[in-house]
Amino acid sequence: MSANASATSGVGRRRSRVGRYALWQLGDYLRDRGGPTFLICILFGYLGAGHITAMVARQLTSAPQKLIAAYGTLEAARQAILHDASVSFLRSFLGAVVFLAALLATNGIVATDRKQGFYRFLFAKPVSPSRYYGQAFLMHGAGFLLVFVVLALVYGYFITPVLTVSLLVGLALMYLCYAGIAFALSASARWDWLSLVTVAVAASYCWGRYGESTSPYAGFLYLLPPLHKTTEVYDAIASGVALPWHTLAWLAGYGAACYLIGLVILRYRRLAII
Amino acid sequence: MIHFERVGKRYRSWTGREVLALDDLSLAIHPGEVFGLAGPNGAGKSTLIALLLGFFGPSAGAVHIDGLAPRRYIERHGIGYLSELVNIPPAWRVSNALYRYALLAGVSADTIAARIEATLATLGLDEHRGKRVRQLSKGNLQRLGLAQALLCEERVIVLDEPTHGLDPVWTQRFRDVVDRLRRPDRAILIASHNLDELARLADRVAIVDRGRLQRIVDVRANERTVTANAPYRVVVARGESRVRESFPDAHEISSGEYEISGLSLEAINAGLVALMQAGAVVSAAYPVHSALEQQFREAVGARTEPERAS
Repeated sequence: MSANASATSGVGRRRSRVGRYALWQLGDYLRDRGGPTFLICILFGYLGAGHITAMVARQLTSAPQKLIAAYGTLEAARQAILHDASVSFLRSFLGAVVFLAALLATNGIVATDRKQGFYRFLFAKPVSPSRYYGQAFLMHGAGFLLVFVVLALVYGYFITPVLTVSLLVGLALMYLCYAGIAFALSASARWDWLSLVTVAVAASYCWGRYGESTSPYAGFLYLLPPLHKTTEVYDAIASGVALPWHTLAWLAGYGAACYLIGLVILRYRRLAII
Repeated sequence: MIHFERVGKRYRSWTGREVLALDDLSLAIHPGEVFGLAGPNGAGKSTLIALLLGFFGPSAGAVHIDGLAPRRYIERHGIGYLSELVNIPPAWRVSNALYRYALLAGVSADTIAARIEATLATLGLDEHRGKRVRQLSKGNLQRLGLAQALLCEERVIVLDEPTHGLDPVWTQRFRDVVDRLRRPDRAILIASHNLDELARLADRVAIVDRGRLQRIVDVRANERTVTANAPYRVVVARGESRVRESFPDAHEISSGEYEISGLSLEAINAGLVALMQAGAVVSAAYPVHSALEQQFREAVGARTEPERAS
């Protein structure tokens, strides 16, 4: 009997409840990655922002009365100085921790399962790797945002409120950018975090060195992630001004394309590491 | 149900070095059958199973389950699979691990709790349900691996070295579990180094060596067939001095225990009758190697371990 002749259509398809599994993936993120991310951010935040309120109070006591009068009231002057200090801190803080948090969220998202052999039992079940890991990427993104919401609330309690829709949208799109690249690398390489750092450094260097070049070969730069543009986004988020949508679309679009490439790789690439 | 059609698999390293893991292998496993897979280390068993699970594709030929490519079949129906190495994230708790696998296996919401409880009870994992995977002993981890494979009523079950690490009690119970898994529409594939286990469980056993299918042994028919000149062991409780009168070439293994080689079954029977008539009391007479083991030795040959590894 040939294989084709033996095909049975009578046996019904069994659907995996992978959608319900999303909550477990979110829990995994919060326990294994979200907690450490939160702690690292709090530590960085404390080192950078712990002195802001004391510094503002010092500046107010030493500021000339004329300067305070220019703001109208003492409270208005305090708010203005605090805002400037906060913007300055957030600009550098976000530039460092958003990349780090996205790296932690997606590090080994596929590669660890392949290296450790966890894929064997997972994918003997009626679930496709692209569906499983595609969903894990989204759940880790939700966890990433949750961590930043809590961080923003903590920052708002101690320093000044920063939790806005534009902050969340900006962070979500930055996650898509960084994590999308990391996802594609994790789907295709074993050493994904190292690959991501290499790509990020190489892209920043190449854009900085050749970004203004008029050479016809400069067009190849557009194959690299536009990570030199991220400061524009962090400046806007920190200052609370309108987000640079064109830049965000470029960054997020690049990440989304990488995410889709990662899904395609998972669809067709062998699972086993030989 | 499961078809390997002239399957070849070649591994290629970064340096261009090639290893032929499977070569022109054809095999069919039918519904209702427990099929064994035996072979020395490096014979190609693990490659064959990885191909069946679609973890990678063949370099030549095709593998089908119910007429579908393996990944396509598995993503539609799932299969019960126990790998040789049980890899489950060490931080997971036993009951949570089973819940997760049951969700992915598509066990319905109204039966999932009962199904997990039944599986925990069947495999004696009840008392370990709250433990983390990293806290389990090798045997318990093996049972957890088996438990996740049996969560759903799969039509294809693949067990790679299923009794590896199990104690004798659970090895025996595992045989009962496999007996209960038998179903007319289900194919069960068991890969094992333990030929005695395969002889007890399997209907047919494929012997693979150097990436090639050497032979398929029909275990039940094989039990009735005695290989010519197979060595036998005779144990006498009394009358040792008479043994060499009936079996002049008998080789004494220990006091009262002799090995007889090169005789037909009829000659052995005649010798035993003569021995007993001479006043000896025979307490046991049995083949040194089981029928399957004999077939294995013939198929694989008397190669040394280093040769096998290469």
